[in-house]
Amino acid sequence: MFLPITLFLYYITPKRFRNLTLFVVDLVFYSWGEPMLVLLMLTSILINYVSAILIGINREKKALARTIFIISIILNLGLLGFFKYVGFIGETLNFVLPFLNLPVIQVALPIGISFYTFQTMSYTIDVYRNTVKVQKNFITFGTYVSLFPQLIAGPIVRYSDVAAQLVSRKESMEQFTEGVKLFLVGLSKKVLLANEMGALWDAVRESGSQAGALGAWVGIIAYTFQIYFDFSGYSDMAIGLGRMFGFEFIKNFDYPYISKSITEFWRRWHISLGTWFREYVYIPLGGNRKGLGRQIINIAVVWFLTGLWHGASWNFVLWGVYFGIILVIEKAFLLKLLKKAPAVISHLYSLLLIVFGWVLFYFENMSEMGGFIARLFGADGFMMQGDIVPCIISYIPLLLAAALVSTPLFNLIYHKIKSRAVIIVLDNAGSAAALLLCTASLASSAYNPFLYFKF
Amino acid sequence: MKPAKAVHYLPAFIFCGFIFVFMILWIVLPKEDYSAKEKRMLADIPELNAQTIFSGEFQKKLDDYLSDHIPARDFFVGLNADYELVSGRNGSNGIYLGSDDYLFSKPTRETDNLANNAQFIKEFSETSQVPVFMTVIPSSGYVNGRRLPAVHEEYYDDRLISEFSEKLGDKVSFVNVTDVMFREGATKQLYYRTDHHWTSQGAYECYKALGKSMGYEPVAKNKFSVETVTGFYGTSYSKSALWFVSPDKIELWRNTLQPKDSLTVEIKDGSDTKTSNSYFFPEQLKGDDKYPVFLDGNHSVVRITNTNAESGTLVVVKDSYAHTIVPFLSQNYRNIIMLDLRYYKKDVSDVVKAENADQVLILYSLDNLANDPYLSNLF
Repeated sequence: MFLPITLFLYYITPKRFRNLTLFVVDLVFYSWGEPMLVLLMLTSILINYVSAILIGINREKKALARTIFIISIILNLGLLGFFKYVGFIGETLNFVLPFLNLPVIQVALPIGISFYTFQTMSYTIDVYRNTVKVQKNFITFGTYVSLFPQLIAGPIVRYSDVAAQLVSRKESMEQFTEGVKLFLVGLSKKVLLANEMGALWDAVRESGSQAGALGAWVGIIAYTFQIYFDFSGYSDMAIGLGRMFGFEFIKNFDYPYISKSITEFWRRWHISLGTWFREYVYIPLGGNRKGLGRQIINIAVVWFLTGLWHGASWNFVLWGVYFGIILVIEKAFLLKLLKKAPAVISHLYSLLLIVFGWVLFYFENMSEMGGFIARLFGADGFMMQGDIVPCIISYIPLLLAAALVSTPLFNLIYHKIKSRAVIIVLDNAGSAAALLLCTASLASSAYNPFLYFKF
Repeated sequence: MKPAKAVHYLPAFIFCGFIFVFMILWIVLPKEDYSAKEKRMLADIPELNAQTIFSGEFQKKLDDYLSDHIPARDFFVGLNADYELVSGRNGSNGIYLGSDDYLFSKPTRETDNLANNAQFIKEFSETSQVPVFMTVIPSSGYVNGRRLPAVHEEYYDDRLISEFSEKLGDKVSFVNVTDVMFREGATKQLYYRTDHHWTSQGAYECYKALGKSMGYEPVAKNKFSVETVTGFYGTSYSKSALWFVSPDKIELWRNTLQPKDSLTVEIKDGSDTKTSNSYFFPEQLKGDDKYPVFLDGNHSVVRITNTNAESGTLVVVKDSYAHTIVPFLSQNYRNIIMLDLRYYKKDVSDVVKAENADQVLILYSLDNLANDPYLSNLF
């Protein structure tokens, strides 16, 4: 409903005002779910807009520019910190220093704040480094920050990547069609795979000890698929929508589950976030140029923050640190061994660590996490029993489909096809099927027969 | 644009065409207030004002409204059900498709309610002045086990029912019909294919089985004339959204020897009363769900008087399964007072006393017994 109106408005608007249309639509889109918090996003936009201009004007006065820059960063992180982490910090302090007995403030997390804060910061940092020009047009800058396709779940588009496109972009039928296809791929990933895998994972957790080790592994594998298809589905939809409006965003996922090492996995998973941390944290801290000791510290900092970025809870930190440690070990010696090892071993090694990582990622409650890990390793026996058995069996076809879709197989086959006629048939049949099945699935989630009054 | 190019861009046209047409249909199609398939009221268009907008309430309600009124909703819901079925998830919306177009609700599981209800009934029976009988009807999935799909959750109705009966104490005469139903179900259709209820045949088997304990002589099957009504789509059908399943039929059994004027059915809901001289209510056959043809569906108090029967007053505490069996019981009891504890909130023992009843029968399906908290209203 929202999309056709937006597309319509966008394409009837003269080129010059298209950013304005987008900006207004973005704000309406955002206010749909969060009527008041749109003001917060506008504040964030304003802070960065003003500070970048001030930095631009005072470029010669180094100290002043530096002060403005630091204030801006503090404000950005302050907003993010307040809205995302204040409850978490309060709880942690109370846990460490119980006598303080701080009141824990619970703030509702504004949608997308982690994403748009990182986007605006990329801009201000680049302005300060003088690698991008100051954007004097508020509408243009606002459009960049609030662009609705990627506002909620990324990718984190750096200002430098889209600066030119913001001012002048050429929408074309070719690009629009590509956008539609990618959008439908993303939608199908989200609706037909992620949601279903999520349902299986829920069922496994609810079955408790009946799942046994086997069921628990199937469950966490389902979650592994869920999170990938959910996240990459959203990214594909965002990139696809971006193309419909003439934007070209960078790829965010590149078949992460075919990685042969964790190092490779993080080059393929949530690429825009990895790039952000590399550009704005790891490299400024000195990267690998200041000796091994410093490099390890830098990696530790980055992974602590990466973990924390994903959520305000210690399990995310644990998850980040878990990968940080693995990456350090890989850098130290393991990577060389993995290169020599047979592919089966290195794939198995990577997948095992990735899947186990999702256990840490999922459970915010440490005792639940402990219980689940114990189950994975046989605390409740190996075999599953009871109602979870038919449930898991019924998901086997989808699990297989999910496994295949997480590899580049279909993409390779698609690009091998030489016949244009076959491509056309595939494209159209695929698009129609995706539209119908996704609509069917979404319509069904609202279909809840009320059957209990006529017993 | 060259035709070759146009073909190349076809996905974009399909997509835009779809979303625009969808939007327009959404706006212009007439809106239903009530979904007959789902048997519930659909969301209303929300009120628009500053307060509802800023609290986000308007937006949320509008989303609900839109999703309740999706164009071609039945088609899409059905498509999704078919897709789930072919992709291996038979039963994903709570209903299994078995062989011979049978639909089954998923098995009932042990609940606290089940144990609580046993306790309520036990206490009721201990204070009751008249004999208390009880029976629990197993589910269609249990009786028709051989028709279940290969992959399904286990039905152990027999175990649940016998464990339940052990908790009732000696004052309740429990009649276990599980084995009878299972045995007879091998050759006869005791349950509807598209509904969780039992058929007249199913109720008749139970009626026969109860006779021994309750002390009546069941009327022989050949004394009944059978009217068959077709085009019945039960609640399992609407829940499953598997629209290709063929319609069911309902049999109405009438005792040929019963004089027309011998019967009075009096239905009370609060202060409303209506009367009839038939067990069956043909106006209920107009909709898809025709089960309420039996005694007009659920009501607080229904009194059935059959002057053709010799004597006897029976109080039946029940769920909707009783609507099929009570017409049979009525052949042997002059007065039957049927109480539905979901609507009837007063003391059952008062009714027993006031009516000078000879017996009490508590009749529930296993599923309702396990999920219905209303038996606490017994006394």
